[in-house]
Amino acid sequence: MVVRKKVLKVCRECHRVVEGEACVICGTSNLSDDWAGYVVIIDPEHSEIAKKMNITMAGRYALKVR
Amino acid sequence: MMDMVESANRIYAIKTTAKQERTVADNIEKVIREQKDIHVMAVMVPEELKGYVLVESPDSIARIEQLVELIPHARAVVQGSTALSEVEHFLVPKPVVSGITEGTIVEIIAGPFKGEKAVVKRIDSGKEEITVELYESMVPIPITVRGDSVRVVERSEDAS
Repeated sequence: MVVRKKVLKVCRECHRVVEGEACVICGTSNLSDDWAGYVVIIDPEHSEIAKKMNITMAGRYALKVR
Repeated sequence: MMDMVESANRIYAIKTTAKQERTVADNIEKVIREQKDIHVMAVMVPEELKGYVLVESPDSIARIEQLVELIPHARAVVQGSTALSEVEHFLVPKPVVSGITEGTIVEIIAGPFKGEKAVVKRIDSGKEEITVELYESMVPIPITVRGDSVRVVERSEDAS
């Protein structure tokens, strides 16, 4: 049985991985399905990765969005 | 206020089943939210690093080994840890067209012209696209392809 993975899109503005047709944070529908690299921020306050990427909200992000 | 020193965070590499890196990252997030003993601040899956995920955590490696036990598709922790400075270059991926200049000979590795050699005529670094002309074609037809669908065969300096 082939389980097809849902194609996730990424907001071009905030790089957040979005399920659905609009970004919940920016409200924009400027989404891209051509992206690479993946970061899950769990604790943005104590994460150095989040600081480097200027992320203040927990969530899933893409590193590169085309 | 927590008395946690920021620089105490270490980066651990977890080996995963091939192509399951993103699933592992999602599962780590799920497991971390469900329990309180293991602390993970962030999980990173660089495109270049196939078969591994990078975990940012203030905990010792023993805790990360515990975590791996709970995660499907996670195989083992690479012994030792590293600092963020060693892996931060993954956070800013360099543009794919950066090594390509006009006149570079490339091989197209994807699309209908796969396998053809071509000369680069124009580079659009904003869109990460390059315009090439096929090497063996009689009439020069410009073709625009994505920067990551070519492989550099010969740099322009060596071509002359």
